[in-house]
Amino acid sequence: MQEKDKLFKEECRSPKSTLTAAVKSPVNTEAIGALIKVVIDDKEIKVPMGTTILEAAKILGINIPTLCYHADLCISGVCRICVVEVEGYRTLQASCAFPITTPIKVHTHTRKVRQARRHVLDLLLSNHYGECYSCVRNNNCELQELANEYGVDFYRFGHVETPTFGTDNSSYAIVRDMDKCIMCRRCVRTCIDLQEVGVYEAVGKGAETRIGTFMDNPMAELICINCGQCINRCPTGALHANDPSDAIWAAIDDPTKHVVIQTAPAPRSAIGECFGLEPGIPLTFEMNTAIRYCGFDRVFDTNFSADLTIIEEGTELILRLYNALVKKEPEFLPQFTSCSPGWVKYIEHFYPEMLGHVSSAKSPQQMFGAVIKTYYAQLNNIDPADIVTVALMPCTAKKFECNRPEMNDSGFKDIDYGLTTRELAQMFKEAGIDLVNMKKSDFDDPFGTRTGSGVIFGATGGVMESAIRTVYELITGDKIENLFDHANIVPVRGFEGIRYAELPINKVGPVPDLLKSLLPDLDWLKSAVLKVAVCHGTANAKKVLENIKSGGKLSECHFIEFMACPGGCLGGGGMPIPTNEKIRAARARAIYAEDESSEVRKSYENPAVTKLYSEFFTEGPCSHKSHKLLHTHYLERGKKLV
Amino acid sequence: MQVIEREKIIGQIEDLKKKHGIDRSALLPILQDLQKIYGFLPNIVMQEVAHSIGIHPVEVEGVASFYSFFRTKEKQGKYVIRLCQTISCDLAGKQNVARQFENELGIKFGETTRDGMFTLEYTNCLGMCDQGPAVMINDRLFARVDAERASQIIADCRRDFLKSDFPEVVPSDIKKAGPILDNGIKPVESLKKALKMSRSDIIATIRESGLKGRGGAGFPTAIKWQLAGAAKGAKKYVVCNADEGEPGTFKDRMLLYEKTDLLLDGMTIGAYAIGAKKGFIYLRGEYLYMRKYLEKSLSKRRSQNLLGEKILGNKDFSFDIEIRMGSGAYVCGEETALIESLEGYRGEPRNRPPFPVDTGFQGNPTIVNNVETFIDAALIISKGAVWFNEYGTEKSKGTKIFSISGDCRQPGIYEFPFGLTVTELLQEVGGEDAKAVQIGGASGHCIAVKDFHRTIAYEDLGSGGSIIIFGPETDMLQVAKNFLEFFVEESCGQCTPCRDGNPKLLEGIELLEKGRCSVTYLNELKKLGETIQIASKCGLGQSSPNAFLSIIDNFKSEILGRVPEAD
Repeated sequence: MQEKDKLFKEECRSPKSTLTAAVKSPVNTEAIGALIKVVIDDKEIKVPMGTTILEAAKILGINIPTLCYHADLCISGVCRICVVEVEGYRTLQASCAFPITTPIKVHTHTRKVRQARRHVLDLLLSNHYGECYSCVRNNNCELQELANEYGVDFYRFGHVETPTFGTDNSSYAIVRDMDKCIMCRRCVRTCIDLQEVGVYEAVGKGAETRIGTFMDNPMAELICINCGQCINRCPTGALHANDPSDAIWAAIDDPTKHVVIQTAPAPRSAIGECFGLEPGIPLTFEMNTAIRYCGFDRVFDTNFSADLTIIEEGTELILRLYNALVKKEPEFLPQFTSCSPGWVKYIEHFYPEMLGHVSSAKSPQQMFGAVIKTYYAQLNNIDPADIVTVALMPCTAKKFECNRPEMNDSGFKDIDYGLTTRELAQMFKEAGIDLVNMKKSDFDDPFGTRTGSGVIFGATGGVMESAIRTVYELITGDKIENLFDHANIVPVRGFEGIRYAELPINKVGPVPDLLKSLLPDLDWLKSAVLKVAVCHGTANAKKVLENIKSGGKLSECHFIEFMACPGGCLGGGGMPIPTNEKIRAARARAIYAEDESSEVRKSYENPAVTKLYSEFFTEGPCSHKSHKLLHTHYLERGKKLV
Repeated sequence: MQVIEREKIIGQIEDLKKKHGIDRSALLPILQDLQKIYGFLPNIVMQEVAHSIGIHPVEVEGVASFYSFFRTKEKQGKYVIRLCQTISCDLAGKQNVARQFENELGIKFGETTRDGMFTLEYTNCLGMCDQGPAVMINDRLFARVDAERASQIIADCRRDFLKSDFPEVVPSDIKKAGPILDNGIKPVESLKKALKMSRSDIIATIRESGLKGRGGAGFPTAIKWQLAGAAKGAKKYVVCNADEGEPGTFKDRMLLYEKTDLLLDGMTIGAYAIGAKKGFIYLRGEYLYMRKYLEKSLSKRRSQNLLGEKILGNKDFSFDIEIRMGSGAYVCGEETALIESLEGYRGEPRNRPPFPVDTGFQGNPTIVNNVETFIDAALIISKGAVWFNEYGTEKSKGTKIFSISGDCRQPGIYEFPFGLTVTELLQEVGGEDAKAVQIGGASGHCIAVKDFHRTIAYEDLGSGGSIIIFGPETDMLQVAKNFLEFFVEESCGQCTPCRDGNPKLLEGIELLEKGRCSVTYLNELKKLGETIQIASKCGLGQSSPNAFLSIIDNFKSEILGRVPEAD
């Protein structure tokens, strides 16, 4: 297999704000003039040309407050909280936007600076409606933190008493409360630059400027893909998820209801952050205990349905290849993954003509819901009408997905509530749970096997890695470990925006039992080269789709994994705030460590999955029954709003 | 029906793209034409424009809602009446005119009559400050409108018999000419001479002359040109900033019309000096009536090989100029905002550094100069640096064109050398009894009698040429209020101090009006003003509280402890 391909360099479309504000840093920092001396508060440091004052201060351990700055986004320089005094300049300079190109002396806490920052805070607070104690971001709000840091003890310039905009609750996923907006434009940059969806933009001018949606349409009627990346980057409570926890508590309290929760791989890697832990410390088993303590009747592992997805989606891929290569029928290739509901809605809106590429397999969340309300209900003799299925997800788009009208193949709503990591943490707190010190306990059967192939779904490249492990072994009958140490398929891992890899099929084995009803033999795959790609963030997805449309290199791929969120699920819109590259990397380490320590690391070896096929989906994957319960179809939504 | 409508719109957009270009920088011209077709920018039109140039509909709305000439919600009337609300017209009796328009039409400002005939709007400075109150109806101008004429104008509109005050372009009103306005130089002479010089000689001559930017900031022109000339970039651009929006300024309107050839010479010389192939004149939307005239001058020059390929047989030098219209946004006079606007974005100033000389239009080296600067530069090339040097002070060389309005006997355009005192100026224009003078428009300072000995020059009282004179009867609080209202509206809205700070200052004025402002709070507002001055992102924000602060300082006794008029 090839090393990661450098063909698709990470290039943010981005706009003006980065293009024009960034001074390129020299590649060779050894060159004369590449390093520049800067003195900040009498501390001296040499930094590469183009480093911003903010970055230099960070290296020196000097704290400069920020609001509109976000490590994932291009520079904006609008909030002016990070202003500093630079000698020789009449005005204060925004440290986040000031590239160091000549030796300068900087002062970060002079009278002028302190007064300006305090005024900026006072002005923001004067227009910031609402009380901290009734805000979802209480204790995790950047504005509140700064007000505290700067000792704000009264509203110097008054305070708005009535809401101006009201709250937009129309979306299943995202609630907009613009009365709390401080105009930092992080959501604008997230949505336009990072995700290329374009729901928000500043509209109006002067004092009337605000962040708007197109013609003030409510969120539910926009091209929003519900990825929630804007929530993760909002410094205040202006954007938050649509929280179903009240309804879930009510179901728990209702003795006639059997409340079942499935927990996705990503939340366990990050929920500790809500309880003061460093990122990257998984609390999988503490969480199980806490969930039961809250009163849930069963706690299942979404890894089970992730493995199920691999079987269905992998089989679908082999069938598509068979159709194309042997039967010579027209077939949509490459096949696209369908696990990420943000991505699914993205392609429905922006590339509806390419929906044929998307695997018809439901996402693990929805498969699990269908299985619980059918197979599990039968097995335990419970009326599915009395089962309430909750899905703990790192994701806000999952809230939308479970409410898609077609997701009722079990005869009931397959998943009743999508719950985010943050919201579960809140439920724990409400129940007085000290999560970190909880006793450990395992998942409930019959879906309790710990599998590494499921857990890595939480990171970008994980679906592909699981798929390769299973598909390769099913086709060749060989062990993947012969190609990759410990079955770690390193070329598809990492955080590069688009990754490409090739996997030669050197031999083929006999048709495995699972596929016997579908294929006569596998000889046609002999000496084939499986080409795959992985991408995350819908801006990268756009690049991939455009490449395919123009007949570029990626159009030769057979299978491509798409994740709507940067970093994959571990960077999902329902994950703890804040987020940045470092935090996402720590979560990824936790996920891969759990994979490494699992006994079962290949989806087709998951005993719960094989049992399901032998007892319930007896006709095998991609059969009539599995199609009814485990597969779905998509809508050509398009971009038009009228 | 809807499908047919959509097809039609898509067709129109495709045609406009052929005319204006296919990338985002064509967005404003396309929207301007579409607004002309539909009377506003309907939802579906914005969507189709967005999809056609590969951006998101909300981005188009963001742009459209930024510029005051665009409408996104409702169709404008057949006649859009724009009454200037800026200080000079305000002093000249705008209130009565406004009231009468409302009476005649039965609507308020910001509304459209039910029959779709009239829309009433306020606008900021039309550049008619010496002949106010000014009204613009569609693209025609009316000066010295009073209440009685307002009703006549409406009647004329109803009969479709609208006669403008001005035939095509506003006539000049030059009260005093100097070496720049009375230069005796034939058209194209400067350009011909320049093309015989080397690029470095041109810049050296400009440097020697000591020419500084005439827009107000006073950056040395030679340094700008040299940096842009030295910057690496395959494409370079010359931009003429004709977005004359500073309240009280109207000299560029005159220069654009009267000195067109010198201006185009200056731009072409600038292009030659820095190695640019393309230039823009960013003409403010309020000067739309001037466009046709300028286009004519440009095509004439093309036919004379003064623009286009191999200018005057010079095989290494090709250059052409395109006119781009603004759409009603004062902040676009800030050079980086102007560039954003040219690129098809909201006119929001950029972070600096980097500066336009290396990262300007579409990331390329760009010089942005005021109309007057280009004209001065052209004359300096013709007549030499020493000729220019003779005038002015040590640090402010040459003469300057001033736009003078307000309470004086002879408002109009004056050319004075730098170094003139305010007292001398007042004598020249017949404003000896002035109580205060606003130097530099809304963004400038308001000085009182005790400072009339000061000189008008970059090193003392710098300005882009706007001088507004306030007579003894003027209520200075109302002056401060007018300026602040201007900034509350015209701030681009991106940075906190300017966007949220100016409304607080304005609220303070309202408290003062009611006699309800303590000195403690007033001092807090003054401190806030200082913060706005030093912490805002761009020059507009930084200068927005100047008038407020100087009026509070100079006229405190007049302002404090007011007894409000009975309601």
